[in-house]
Amino acid sequence: MTDSGNPDVTVEVRDAHVSYRVFEEPAMGLKQGFARGRVRRQHRMIPAVQGVTLDLFERETLGLIGPNGAGKSTLLAAMTGLLPLRSGTIRGRSRPSLLGVSSVLRPALSGRRNILIGGLALGFTRAEVERRMDEIIDFAGLRADIDRPMRTYSSGMRARLRFAIATARIPEILLIDEALTVGDEEFRRLAAERIDDVRSASGSVVLVTHNMNEIRRFCDRVVWLDEGRIRAAGDPAEIVDSYLAAPSPNSR
Amino acid sequence: MADEGGTTSTADDGGEAAARPLIDLTSRPSTLAYLREAWRRREFAIVVPAQDLRAQNMDTTLGQLWHLVNPALLVGVYFLVFGVIIDTRRGVDNFLGFLIIGVVLFHLTQRVTLEASGSITQNLGLIRSIQFPRILLPAASVNGQTAAFVPALVLALLAVLATGELPTLRWLVLPAVLVAQFAFNFGVALLVARIGTTMRDLRQILPHLFRLLFYGSGVIFSVDAFVQSTAWRRAFALNPVYDVITCARWCLLGEPVDLWVVAGLVLWCIVMPALGFVVFHRSEQRLGA
Repeated sequence: MTDSGNPDVTVEVRDAHVSYRVFEEPAMGLKQGFARGRVRRQHRMIPAVQGVTLDLFERETLGLIGPNGAGKSTLLAAMTGLLPLRSGTIRGRSRPSLLGVSSVLRPALSGRRNILIGGLALGFTRAEVERRMDEIIDFAGLRADIDRPMRTYSSGMRARLRFAIATARIPEILLIDEALTVGDEEFRRLAAERIDDVRSASGSVVLVTHNMNEIRRFCDRVVWLDEGRIRAAGDPAEIVDSYLAAPSPNSR
Repeated sequence: MADEGGTTSTADDGGEAAARPLIDLTSRPSTLAYLREAWRRREFAIVVPAQDLRAQNMDTTLGQLWHLVNPALLVGVYFLVFGVIIDTRRGVDNFLGFLIIGVVLFHLTQRVTLEASGSITQNLGLIRSIQFPRILLPAASVNGQTAAFVPALVLALLAVLATGELPTLRWLVLPAVLVAQFAFNFGVALLVARIGTTMRDLRQILPHLFRLLFYGSGVIFSVDAFVQSTAWRRAFALNPVYDVITCARWCLLGEPVDLWVVAGLVLWCIVMPALGFVVFHRSEQRLGA
């Protein structure tokens, strides 16, 4: 096993390959199912990440950029163990947490109830959520509105609530996938604060975004992914410049 | 800051900060560790469906009362059609009590199954962003529908009392029957949750399967009174829903119950959860892909 041996490494990705299945049709129709006499749908394996090797260090914010379909989100999903690797290894100090609590929240319910729901989805017990409730409400800056239904919130308020729930426990390794683009300036200030919290607790942050200003603002190092491989890595200013200059049809 | 463990507070993080060993992030936990983690997070499968039930009727005039009114209307319609218009009361002393037990218990299994069949496909966003034991999703369907069933059960008990039945020692057996049904429902929920991910047509097919099952479960007529052959009657014991309903009627109304039916219920409430778990757990990692 190739081991970096570096005590500062929080996540170590070695020659990771990830493929996912894409179904040829949205869903199997009964007709085809019976006609072919089998239950499985037709699918292709799409190689999304093809041999990525990288280390993530303590107190670092790593930016992940690349055109759509470059494998950025897939790599994050593999790092949290959401997608199985076809080959290679990913090891880490603890399981990274991906900012993604939004899908479990219920617009019809109040902010307070959503904090409970989101917290439980993230693995807190009910008692743990209750204990952190005030802290989460204050961090989100929603003290006055917390008992109103979430559907009455502005998009900025919603983004703050989601972010406050998802980072209620400061994770050691925080993965952010296009989550900062939504929301207002107040929200971005909040996010910056949390990212600093993670780093000052010797953690690491990975930020996936198409917004180069976010990369310049938050990141210490940037990895440019293209077609599932690392095309370049290094200083944010340099990489962003060459990324923007690259004649890639679907890059922004 | 408070504690700095990952969101899945495992025993191997925490401890000394410097040079902690790296753990494999892509490996699958053992089945035992999986079940332990699911149990630790069990409140998710209780609180979330409870909140959804609250939200469900929030905008209606009757609000939460609908959980009581709905089954009452349902039984009323069946009573009108099968008790009065087409008379299927043959061989039953207390037809209203007989009917309400059948309808309420049948609908519990039906609701759980329909709800669970979409429990994975309707939560793909969650599955793709958070690592947690997926068994919690069908479990939430089972818990939510079972909680929604409690008012209907109370209604059934009241109806049985109102139609002149007196509580006997047999009533004490009813909780065991309901626990057996819960276990069976849980197994079915796991099975359909898994099948629903590869066969989206399932949700269209299920209502029809349940309509067929409805007539094969003796919900609206007494199988003993309508079916003469003993062999055929025994065949009904293979139907788990028939077993549940018949045992419950024995408890509350003193209707006869065959030993085959009891054996059928015992078997189903053990085999179904085991089968459901194996099928669900085996392909769990691919569920979100």
